[in-house]
Amino acid sequence: MKQPKIQTRELSLFYGEKMALNSISMDIPEKEVTAFIGPSGCGKSTFLRTLNRMNDLIPFVKITGEVLVDSLNIYDKQIDVVNLRKKIGMVFQKSNPFTKSIYENVAYGPKINGIRERKKLNEIVETSLKNAFIWEEVKDRLYDSAMGLSGGQQQRMCIARALAVEPEIILMDEPASALDPISTAKIEELIFELKKNYTIVIVTHNMQQAARVSDYTAFFYLGELIEFGKTRKIFTTPDNKQTEEYITGRFG
Amino acid sequence: MERHFEQELEKLKKRILKMGDLVGAQVHNSLEALLTCNNELAQQVIGFDTEVDKLDVKIDKLCQRIFALTQPVATDLRLIMSALKINNDLERLGDLAVSISSKIEGISDYKEILAGLKMADLAQMADLIVKDMVNLLNNQNTSMVRDIFLSASAIEDRVNIATGHILEEMMHKSEVIVVATNLTIILTQIERISGLCTNIAESVVFIVDGRMIKHDKTFRGSFVSDNEQKEE
Repeated sequence: MKQPKIQTRELSLFYGEKMALNSISMDIPEKEVTAFIGPSGCGKSTFLRTLNRMNDLIPFVKITGEVLVDSLNIYDKQIDVVNLRKKIGMVFQKSNPFTKSIYENVAYGPKINGIRERKKLNEIVETSLKNAFIWEEVKDRLYDSAMGLSGGQQQRMCIARALAVEPEIILMDEPASALDPISTAKIEELIFELKKNYTIVIVTHNMQQAARVSDYTAFFYLGELIEFGKTRKIFTTPDNKQTEEYITGRFG
Repeated sequence: MERHFEQELEKLKKRILKMGDLVGAQVHNSLEALLTCNNELAQQVIGFDTEVDKLDVKIDKLCQRIFALTQPVATDLRLIMSALKINNDLERLGDLAVSISSKIEGISDYKEILAGLKMADLAQMADLIVKDMVNLLNNQNTSMVRDIFLSASAIEDRVNIATGHILEEMMHKSEVIVVATNLTIILTQIERISGLCTNIAESVVFIVDGRMIKHDKTFRGSFVSDNEQKEE
């Protein structure tokens, strides 16, 4: 395995009294795609959100253990959460464009970070849209509303928006579940390209998608990490019987 | 945007072609060793079989991975299904080359039997059908399939004649029984070589046209008439 970018150590999460994650320890490798799979309620999205402290926003959540990004515990008190989320971008199940132009959507993050020079912003917008494989489709209508894009285009624009602030890690929570097969295929190819430069963690209900796009797969069940390993191993000869039964559709 | 999947398919195609080349060379060398009674060359064929086996396992693993990770459909599905079968047939061709090579010791004392069997012609025909099969794998030009089937049929006829001839020899010369038995086995193996080449040709038809022609007894006849119609 490559150098781990993210490491969790005995990470547990409670919603009030209810334990949602039970002592998860995992090394997520740098510049690879890691997929989380498991039945609904198994904790995979909850675990994903612990990786950029999105769960901080939910009341009554208690977290124990550690999440290390580049060997620094992101739950340390001195960690600046805004800076952390710049480093760790996130793409959600439903694309969430701002009601602004395509250009403004992508330039939003860099502007918040203090970049004002038009030429620099133009460069960032173009590069980000190119890296998200949507530049050719939108280059002639950058100042049109992003709301006019198709669902698949909106999702790729949201990925471009995440890329514009130059993150090192991209978390994706069911990024293609609301898309048609062609748009899904584009997102999957995009993920494959992005891993050359970014560490990607993706939650998906679609096991075939996990198999297609990821290098590593983690199978969660009832808040526990059941098996974690190379995707080619998990989907051909998993070590754990529960993993085998889940990926072959026998339970879950 | 090129599909990542295409890269995996290209890798598979390249490995199958490499396997075809390796096995083609193995068969050629085993027949050469037989005709020239070259035991050293025969030993090389036997020794090289581990390379063929390694590639066989590599191709099987790649197919397993593609099936498990990419859920292929349509032409992609046909390609990977057929690749598994072609790989198996190629590996068996390699085994036949080894088997022929392991039976040539002692034949040098009975070169006149080889000549009587017209083994040189038969070996040339077997070598040619394997070369045609490798070319077919490479260019997927299914118009070559007809020639492969016709060659296989001709080889079968020649093997039958040679087998009859060798039985005659065995009846009249008891001292040749050991070597003649080996030659009978070799003849059967040459026939199996041509049979495996037709299997592979059938798989290529399945990849290209989607037609499953194995076990289709009318295929040879209909194929010939199809071609005749086209020529008209």
